[in-house]
Amino acid sequence: MTNKANEFASASRSAIQTPEMVAAVAFATNSAAAKRNIAFEVNGTEHGEALRQQAAEARRRALRKLPELLEQAEARMQANGIEVLWAKDGEEASQHVLNIARQHNIKHIAKSKSMVSEEIGLNAVLETAGFDVLETDLGEYIIQLAGETPSHIVAPVIHKSKAEIRDLFMERLGMAYTDDAAEMTRFARRHLREGFLKADMGISGGNFIIAETGTLCLVTNEGNGRMVTSLPPVHVALVGIEKVIETLDDYATLIQLLARSATGQVMSVYANLINGPRRTAEDGGPERVVVILVDNGRSKIYNSTYAEALACIRCGSCLNACPVYEAIGGHAYGWVYSGPIGAVITPLLTGLENATPLPHASSLCGKCKVVCPVDIDLPRMLLDLRHDLVAAGHAPLLWRMGLRGWAMVSRSPLLFGLVGWAAKWGSKVLPKHRTIPVGPLGGWSKSRDLPEFAPETFHQLWAKREKGNDHEQP
Amino acid sequence: MSSRESILKNLKAARSPFVDVPPVENRREVVLQDDLRPEALRAHFIKEAEKLSCQVTICASAADAIEQLLALLGDDRLLLSWDLPHIPLPGLAEALEHAGIKIAAPADAAVRVGLTGIDVALASTGSFILFSGPGKPRAVSLLPDLHVAVMTAGQIVPNLETWSATERANQIEDFRQTSSVLIVSGPSRTADIAMQLVLGAHGPAAVHILMLP
Ligand code: SF4
Repeated sequence: MTNKANEFASASRSAIQTPEMVAAVAFATNSAAAKRNIAFEVNGTEHGEALRQQAAEARRRALRKLPELLEQAEARMQANGIEVLWAKDGEEASQHVLNIARQHNIKHIAKSKSMVSEEIGLNAVLETAGFDVLETDLGEYIIQLAGETPSHIVAPVIHKSKAEIRDLFMERLGMAYTDDAAEMTRFARRHLREGFLKADMGISGGNFIIAETGTLCLVTNEGNGRMVTSLPPVHVALVGIEKVIETLDDYATLIQLLARSATGQVMSVYANLINGPRRTAEDGGPERVVVILVDNGRSKIYNSTYAEALACIRCGSCLNACPVYEAIGGHAYGWVYSGPIGAVITPLLTGLENATPLPHASSLCGKCKVVCPVDIDLPRMLLDLRHDLVAAGHAPLLWRMGLRGWAMVSRSPLLFGLVGWAAKWGSKVLPKHRTIPVGPLGGWSKSRDLPEFAPETFHQLWAKREKGNDHEQP
Repeated sequence: MSSRESILKNLKAARSPFVDVPPVENRREVVLQDDLRPEALRAHFIKEAEKLSCQVTICASAADAIEQLLALLGDDRLLLSWDLPHIPLPGLAEALEHAGIKIAAPADAAVRVGLTGIDVALASTGSFILFSGPGKPRAVSLLPDLHVAVMTAGQIVPNLETWSATERANQIEDFRQTSSVLIVSGPSRTADIAMQLVLGAHGPAAVHILMLP
C-alpha cells in the first residue's frame, strides 16, 4: 500500500471537516473503549493489571528468544505438515503467494483479514496477475467494494455510517432498500457464501504462532476466517515474524486478553488452532497449508530501541483510547496502521522520512500505554521518534530557528531581560483577547488567549526581596 | 544467502531485547474462579454460554435430548452431522431413521441444522472446543444456520488455562495431530456495520447446547 503519511496535516484537516465520519468514529471508539474497560475490571483493577503484566511478559519473553523460537516454530510446523516459507520483504511474500496460486491453477481466492497483506499490497498484485480476490470479512468486503483502505486494525470500516454502507450495497450489489443492519449483513452473507464455495485458495493472516506445538492461531468473530482456512483445498497464511509465542499456556493468556482488549468479549467467537492440513480419513480441511513468515522491516526494528513495538498483538485498544484518532479517524495516518501504534510503526517500517508528521500525531496523554494489553510504552517511543526526527534534520526550519533562538536568549542574562521587557510591552499593544493576527503564532492564538505578562519579572521580584523590600515576607 | 538465513542472521546479530524483564512468578488465570465443584462448574458454564447468546437445554436423558433435537429440526428432512458414534446419544440413528431424516454430505451449504458433539467445555467463558478428525467434519459447525452441540456435564473443565495445562501435560502429541482445534464461544457475529451487533455473520446465527448429565 502506498504511504501517504507525510500528507498527515492536510488529510487530518479534511477529516475533521467530515462530521458524519467523525461522529461514526467517535461513537465506535468510545463504545469499544468502554467495553474494554469493563472487561478488564470485572475481577478488580489489581487483577486486570496483573494480567496485563503477564501478557506483557509473555510477548517480551518470546521476543527475547525470537530467532530460536522461529527456528523451533518452523521445525514443529513442518513436523505437523505445514510448509514454511520466508520472505524478507513484501515483494518476496507476494511472489510466494503467486507461485503457489500458479502451481494449483487457482482462479478464485477468498481472503480473511490480514494486516500484513494490506501492508504488502497483496490484493493489487494478485488482481494484476489475473486472480479473482474476494475479501470476506464483512468490513474488509465493504472496503473492497468502496475501493478504500481499512481505517482501523480491528474494525476496518469504522469510518462509515450505516447509510453509506446501505447506499454502497444498493448501488454496487443491487440490494433492496433497508435500514436494518441485520438485513444488510444477511444480504452480504449470501453474496459472500457463493464466494467461499467457489474459492480454490484461502489466504489468511495469523494472530500467533505457538513455537512449542507448531500451531498457527487465528481468531474470527464472523466465521469467515474458518471458511477461508477450511473450505478451499489450499490455505496460505501471511504472518509477521514477530508473532511467535513460546507455549500453549502463553496462548491461553494472550488470546483472552486480545478479545477483551479488542471488543470487550471474553473470547472471540472462534479461536482456531491450526496444526496442519487435513489428516488421513478426515472429511474437509485444506490439503495444503503454507505459512509465509514475513520480515518486511521487522528485523530492523528488532535491532533498535523500538523492539517493544513488535510485542503488539493488534488489538486496536490504543486506537480506541486515542483522542487524536477519535478526532480524525484512521485514514489521515496515511498507511495501513493508524492510531498510536500506527504513529510508531509506520515510520519504523516505511522510513522516518516517509512519515515525519506521525510522531507528532499525539498529545502524549499516555492513555494508549495504560490500555495496551501488553503494556507497550507508545508515548516513550513517540518521544524518541521526535528526537530521531530532529537528529535526522527533519524538524521544520521554523522550529529549528526558534529553538536555536531560545537557546541563545536563555544563555545570556542581558538578552533574556531584554526579550522579557519587549514581550511585556509588546503584548500591551495587541488587540482584545490578545490574539496575534500574523506570523507563526497566528494559528495558535486563534483558539487561545495569549497569557498576560506579569508586571514584574521573577528577576525583579527576587532582587527586591534580596534588598529586604518585600514586606509580605515574614 | 536465502531469506530465511538472512532474517535469522539479522535477528541473531541483534542484542536480545528485554533481558531484564523478570519471569512471572504466580501466573494468573484470566477469570477468577473460587468454586471448582462439578455442579458449580456446570452452573458457571451455563451462565457464560447464555451470555454469549447460546441456548442451553438441560436434558435428563439421551431420549430427552433426541426429542429436543427433533423439535429443533422441525420439518427439515436433511441434517449435517458428525458421524453418530461421536455424538453421545445412543439410539439417535434409529430415531432419525424413524423420523425420515437423512444426513447430508458435510459440504451441503443448503442444510439448516448441523449436529456435533464437543470435545471439552470451558466453564469460565462458556466456550466449547471441537477437535477436527475422521467423522468430525469442520463444516458441520460452520455452514448451517443452527448449530446443535451435544455435551455431557462431565466434559466441563474450569477454563482455558486448565485445558492448556492438561494438553501440555498429557496429550500434546494428540493436540498436534489434530489439524484444527477450534474454541467456539457463541454464534458467529459481526458489528462491522455501525457497531450494531448482528448474530449470524458467516457461521451459525444460533448455537443450541443440549447438555446431558
Ligand atoms: S500497541 Fe497495544 S493497544 Fe495498540 S494495538 Fe498493539 S497491543 Fe493493542
